[in-house]
Amino acid sequence: MDLLERAPIELKSWLLNWLGSFGVPEWILAVLSAVTVIGTVIGVFLGLFALASVLERKILARAQNRYGPNRVGPFGLFQPVADGIKMITKEDLVPRAADRVVHFLAPVVMMVPALMVLAILPYGRDMVPAELDAGILYFFAVGAGTEVAVFMAGWASNNKYSVLGAMRAIAQMISYEIPLVIAAIITAMISGSLSPSAIVAAQGGFAFGFLPQWFALTPWGFTACLLFYIGALAESNRSPFDLPEGESELVAGHLTEYSGFKYATFFMAEYVGMFAVCGMLVTLFLGGWQAPLPFLAIVPTWCWFLGKICFVAFTMIWVRATLPRLRIDHLLAFAWKFLLPMSFAAFFSAACWHYAGRGPLAWLLSLAIVAIPYLILGASFSDRFSVSRRTYQFSE
Amino acid sequence: MIREFLKTCCADPSKFLGDWFVLLPATVLLLAAAASVVMRNLIHAALCLTLSFIALGIVFIALGAEFVGFVQLLVYVGAVAMIIVFAILLTRPEQLARSGSALSGFGPAGGAAVGFLALAVLLGFIFSSPLAKKPLPPPASAPVAAIGEALMGDHVVALIAIGVLLTASLVGAAVIAMEDKP
Amino acid sequence: MNFPGSGIVKGLAVTARNMVGSYFEKDRLTTEQYPEERPKLPENSRSFPFLVYDGEDAEAGMRCVSCKICEKECPPQCIFIIQDRDAAGKALKRPKVFDIDISVCMSCQICVEVCPFESIRMDTDYGLSSFDRFGSLVLDKAKLLKSNSYYQSIHPTEAAETDARLEADRKKKEAAASAKAAAAQKATKAAEPIKPEAAA
Repeated sequence: MDLLERAPIELKSWLLNWLGSFGVPEWILAVLSAVTVIGTVIGVFLGLFALASVLERKILARAQNRYGPNRVGPFGLFQPVADGIKMITKEDLVPRAADRVVHFLAPVVMMVPALMVLAILPYGRDMVPAELDAGILYFFAVGAGTEVAVFMAGWASNNKYSVLGAMRAIAQMISYEIPLVIAAIITAMISGSLSPSAIVAAQGGFAFGFLPQWFALTPWGFTACLLFYIGALAESNRSPFDLPEGESELVAGHLTEYSGFKYATFFMAEYVGMFAVCGMLVTLFLGGWQAPLPFLAIVPTWCWFLGKICFVAFTMIWVRATLPRLRIDHLLAFAWKFLLPMSFAAFFSAACWHYAGRGPLAWLLSLAIVAIPYLILGASFSDRFSVSRRTYQFSE
Repeated sequence: MIREFLKTCCADPSKFLGDWFVLLPATVLLLAAAASVVMRNLIHAALCLTLSFIALGIVFIALGAEFVGFVQLLVYVGAVAMIIVFAILLTRPEQLARSGSALSGFGPAGGAAVGFLALAVLLGFIFSSPLAKKPLPPPASAPVAAIGEALMGDHVVALIAIGVLLTASLVGAAVIAMEDKP
Repeated sequence: MNFPGSGIVKGLAVTARNMVGSYFEKDRLTTEQYPEERPKLPENSRSFPFLVYDGEDAEAGMRCVSCKICEKECPPQCIFIIQDRDAAGKALKRPKVFDIDISVCMSCQICVEVCPFESIRMDTDYGLSSFDRFGSLVLDKAKLLKSNSYYQSIHPTEAAETDARLEADRKKKEAAASAKAAAAQKATKAAEPIKPEAAA
């Protein structure tokens, strides 16, 4: 199966050699090499976006005991084509009092970071488009551009509800960015590098010959994985954190005045961002492109990576089908009063695990350091929202 | 001639555009900063300032300081620009379209004069200090690891002091934002 | 086991059971996929009126005699009837024009209740939408005429009852006619002068 494993790289070098045999100069080949990689990555992720948009609807439908879209194509799988035609042919309305330049640029500024962030993910063995020494930092730095886009979208619509929606969306994104970054930093600390390939390599090997050594299978790693997962749900504005874009909240929040292709661009950016952050979660916590058991290594590494991303995306859809939307004050309280202390607990637990020698005692210690704050914080949360007698502050 | 130029470009990306690899984002930075001072619409000015932050980050990356460049993007664009935007939105949402003459008072000549004076003083001190005379150390092979070791080794006191400062500001913000219990 | 977050885990289990169960348990999916699966309507559901004819020929077997009672009684006045006249101008017992505007009709069934000749009944077909705004929503006589066997297929009990009533009426009329004929024959026989016995 080594041939299948190396198939994409071999294909690209074969293509470039074939072109080179026609006397095409070196510099064009270098440019073409970069262009093929970029094109493949973007093509794969846009294809995933199209598939996800219809599979999400079908999975949500099955969870609600109904069929999903099943009219267009076999099992409704050509629905994205119909959706695309609809989005492209819709009239593009811009409110007269809106800020035209900023209104136009907001979808662009939203889409570009979502695509740029795909450059550092290791898709397979030796298959990183850009090998950066500070890859994790690049991921979060470029992801910060999304917040600017949300603000631009909300402001340029010249609509009070859009501005309110944009402010809520930005508050949500900033609040959840901290547990996200701290969870990523924990893995960087344990593997000793900020480069995604090094973090994947640090999760290699098999304990006792068959157990994978992924970070998500350790107590601190499991906590950090959940923190990263919740932060990822909040960053891509997915349920249960989809207050900014829920239909019943402030119309569509910062996306109210967008129609047609610009709305489709926002939608696309959200899904591509979701897949990108799933890819990061897989790289940091689920062992990247590595197989879970030694005998499963015959399946190519890029297949494993894709499969793991699809699995994490499926759990995100599953969570969307299950949980109701959180209110803005609940959302922010959860981020600052629960996730932030838990992220510090996970950080401390990871450090103790490492310095206690990574033996059985270290595992017990790290489990205790994570579990006790979890139970205490969880208990404090369940009392907080109980109904008590109302007191009126100003009417007495 | 174009062929040679492009051949050197793709062989070594930092030689792409030659010196313009740094000068192009630097030009964008200066233009965006000037625009953010001159523009009337306050939100447009804030967005131009954000663009200047992004350009500065790209300048850092082009000069080879990747870590600083990414941190610049993360902190300035992700946090400082958001603070500026929130401050504008929360304090004066109504009167943003026409925020008065942007260049009033001493006028553009006075402002430019003050700016150039400040630049001259700064450059004078920089070039006369020992910093300009020391030779540059060679770039580290693992720059992030080198930065980490420097922070935790030679400069750990400064790091801990900054940590205390940030904790104090966080606690202060939480105290200010706490609800008044009746 | 009530740890913080156990509610979420239980919720995820419920959703997972739904997802998997919807493929295996047939009674979970209650969706009726229109237009392949039609809903089963009750027998006396109604949409718009139609004219009944007996036998094979629509024009010949039409029960309507153009009495215009339904036109008078229709509340939104959506029925328009012109009585047929023969070559000499005498009125015939059939309509030349019978239009119902189904964009106006409110399916109140009053026309059915007042018709003395059991000739107008309610149909159950609801797939009558058209692209043309008003023209194709006015049904003329040709579109309204449907056979008695169609009526029996859509409203079996009503049709059986109507047929029985019509049959009984017909029998009564026949009996009355034959009784009258017998009485008339008897009268003519009685009115004949008594012929003298054959002369010799």
